[in-house]
Amino acid sequence: MPLALDLANLPDADVVALALEGREAAHRELIRRYERPVFSLIFRMVRDRELAEDLTQDSFIKVLSHLDRYRSEFKFSSWLFKISNNVAIDHLRRRQLDTVSMDGSPHATTPDAVMASTIELSDSSESALEEMEAKELGSAIEQAIAKLRPEYRSCILLRHVEGRSYEEIASTLDLPLGTVKTYIHRARHELRRALEHTRE
Amino acid sequence: MNHRHLLPNEIDLLVDGEAGFGVAPLRAHVAECDDCRARLDDARIVVDALEALPHFAPDSRLADRVMAQVPVFVPAHVAARDSVFRWLPQSAPARLAAGIMGTSIAGALTVLLVWLASRGETVMFATGLLSDRFQGMVADTARTLALSLLGESAVATLQATGALGVTLLVLGFLGAALGTVFGLRRLATASARRA
Repeated sequence: MPLALDLANLPDADVVALALEGREAAHRELIRRYERPVFSLIFRMVRDRELAEDLTQDSFIKVLSHLDRYRSEFKFSSWLFKISNNVAIDHLRRRQLDTVSMDGSPHATTPDAVMASTIELSDSSESALEEMEAKELGSAIEQAIAKLRPEYRSCILLRHVEGRSYEEIASTLDLPLGTVKTYIHRARHELRRALEHTRE
Repeated sequence: MNHRHLLPNEIDLLVDGEAGFGVAPLRAHVAECDDCRARLDDARIVVDALEALPHFAPDSRLADRVMAQVPVFVPAHVAARDSVFRWLPQSAPARLAAGIMGTSIAGALTVLLVWLASRGETVMFATGLLSDRFQGMVADTARTLALSLLGESAVATLQATGALGVTLLVLGFLGAALGTVFGLRRLATASARRA
């Protein structure tokens, strides 16, 4: 009988099917499985815990309220990450973060062009709040990730924190495969430079 | 030794642990070239640091907050199926017994229906007989009721006027009932206003 199933041992597709049958326990199981990865992705995108909580909540509400639109030929987690990433990116765009100018022109197509259009932040310009967030996020790599362009940040986090393949990232972010590879390459390059600077 | 140093995308291939026909020469080059090996090590440091990053935990009430805003509908077919499941016994032997009993009853009913269908004329005759009796019983009850309520002369008049008389009587009754209801409501409203 479906109600007696052990949800924790079911694959995502089966849990989604049960959620579509109106089982609240299945909805909660999907949240339990992905709350940490989604929250981590969004937190690293927006660097504000309270805001990340709100955006994570929004992402899950969007996903669970429109489960009927989920296409089972794709991984549920890819669909969830796509929506979560869009929620975070939309917020960053709306807020017109300083990172737009900090991280270089979005039209830059080569690493040099990105560098040329990037405005470096001096340490003294970081607010107390940013310092506190940086402390919470911890290491130098976290701070370096925070300074990446949002597009690079999504790609590098999905690749190395969530362990997604290039193809999955391309599908999740609706980007051509070549663009994903370029973004990840540039992100690694920028992170390497940032870490070299830290080690010096 | 191949003196061409590795390109950045070739370093990426090695960092990603790609295995393919073209990767073996790259590995061979790295084994011999200190410069490329140093670049590869640097790239691996970044990737290792990224892969060691932890997941953060959101507030423990996240699920409750989300579920408070997500409408959960049980589709009609699922509700119907659940109702059936609720009536079914839990244990396998009891389910088997219920299945056998259900199949037996369904089989007996089917045999009965087939038997009735094969005796169409008998069934029609019995149905007509029952229908006539039922109609007669309803007419007698109605007549007795009308006689006790309206009296013999009124019933005789109704019989003389036929269907038209009955219709007028019914309409008159409905009109009187509606008039009474509206009158009572108006009275109640007026007294409520006064209060």
